[in-house]
Amino acid sequence: MTRKFEEMLGELRDVVKKMEDPDTGLDESIALYEKGAALIRECERKLAEAELKVTEVTEK
Amino acid sequence: MDQVPAGPGPVPGPAVLSVADISGIIAEALDDGRLQDIWIRGEITSYKHHHSGHRYFSLSEQVWGRNFSLRCVMWRSRGTDLDFEPRDGLAVIAFGYVQFYEGQGQVQFNVQEMLPAGAGEKHLLVERWKRELAAEGLFSEERKRPLPPFPSVVGVVTARTGAVLQDILNVLGRRFPCRVVLSPTAVQGDLAHLEITRAIRILDGRVDVIIVARGGGSFDDLFPFNHPDVVRAIGCSRTPVVSAVGHEVDHVLSDLAADRRAPTPSAAAELVVPDRADLGREVAGYLERMKGSLEKKVQASGLLIEDLRLRLQPRRLLRRVNEHRDIVAELGEDLDRAVAGKIGRLRGELEKERALLDGRSPLSILARGYCIAEKEGRVVRTARDLGRGDRVNLRMHGGGAKAQIEEVYHDKEV
Repeated sequence: MTRKFEEMLGELRDVVKKMEDPDTGLDESIALYEKGAALIRECERKLAEAELKVTEVTEK
Repeated sequence: MDQVPAGPGPVPGPAVLSVADISGIIAEALDDGRLQDIWIRGEITSYKHHHSGHRYFSLSEQVWGRNFSLRCVMWRSRGTDLDFEPRDGLAVIAFGYVQFYEGQGQVQFNVQEMLPAGAGEKHLLVERWKRELAAEGLFSEERKRPLPPFPSVVGVVTARTGAVLQDILNVLGRRFPCRVVLSPTAVQGDLAHLEITRAIRILDGRVDVIIVARGGGSFDDLFPFNHPDVVRAIGCSRTPVVSAVGHEVDHVLSDLAADRRAPTPSAAAELVVPDRADLGREVAGYLERMKGSLEKKVQASGLLIEDLRLRLQPRRLLRRVNEHRDIVAELGEDLDRAVAGKIGRLRGELEKERALLDGRSPLSILARGYCIAEKEGRVVRTARDLGRGDRVNLRMHGGGAKAQIEEVYHDKEV
């Protein structure tokens, strides 16, 4: 199992916040953009690929 | 013969009351807490459903051969939600108050609510359980926990077959597919509460959230979800529980002990997972915001480049700066046009862009010791541009020089 969607979404929110900080420089912003874009791709992939898996338990 | 007093007149002796007076006294005597808001068990006799809609009957019983009977009336407005048809011989429990009906001189029981005895007793039992479980604190608000926003594993306690599980899976599949662990159980019947309790305990601690669900049904069908075993299993579960039993109008005690109550199983599924369409929109929104802020920063660095241009006059470098600015402008437009699916392309351009920023900054090139040669106003890009005796201008950090080529030599293979 790769990383949890929840974590990635949290990280993405941080990236956006950091990018919107006026003190963040261009180079860092570009790096953040790449990171954010990768996170978005990963999030979207997770959303698209999510699958329902049903199992059954009967024993403790 | 004794003499009879002649004509009307004040009569000596005991006071004589009017019927109205005595009716008043009887009514007052019946105004007793023991006769108000009470449940009475009995068998229906002399049942009449009057065309006006009112119901008249007696509640009767025999004890040691003696007959006891109480006249009853149930007004039309009270009888509309009866879910059975009363008839003679039926054992019932009835809720109401005893009153004196002056017009007929009758003591009667004014029935507010009536249930067949078996089910009725179950209702009373549920009421008792409710009080007891409330006293244990199982229904208190402080116990309620928030549901996890992104459960990876959803546990479902319901019947293996039937629409309920399918409804839940459909909603989960549409909104946010995840792992589902079914803990199958009977959902009705005399022993169902044991199975339900066990099914909940099996899931407890193994999943992120538990849905306890059952489709609509009669009070009897839903009865196991009132059982204290089930209610306690829900109330004491370490994993948050959503209860979805019956339809919107049905209420069972398990609803009160759960962290959330959902009106239907489908609604429970909606409660436990977010909608991926919403999440997709949120994520796409972040892309827009990132592009916006990057654009702003690119513009800001464009201003920096402008500053450099003013400080460094050489034309060909200026051309490169302009070239660079065109690319920056293009990139800006690309950013505008870029959509979610084109991130890869955009990222490639950004990569190039950064290389340009780093490598082509005129200051950094010259300051690092590089020199630019120019022949007849054009930059010399390759040795092939030059021949012996050519005059060239050299531009370097801190100034320039004019030079004449003495010899040209070529690398073997570039």
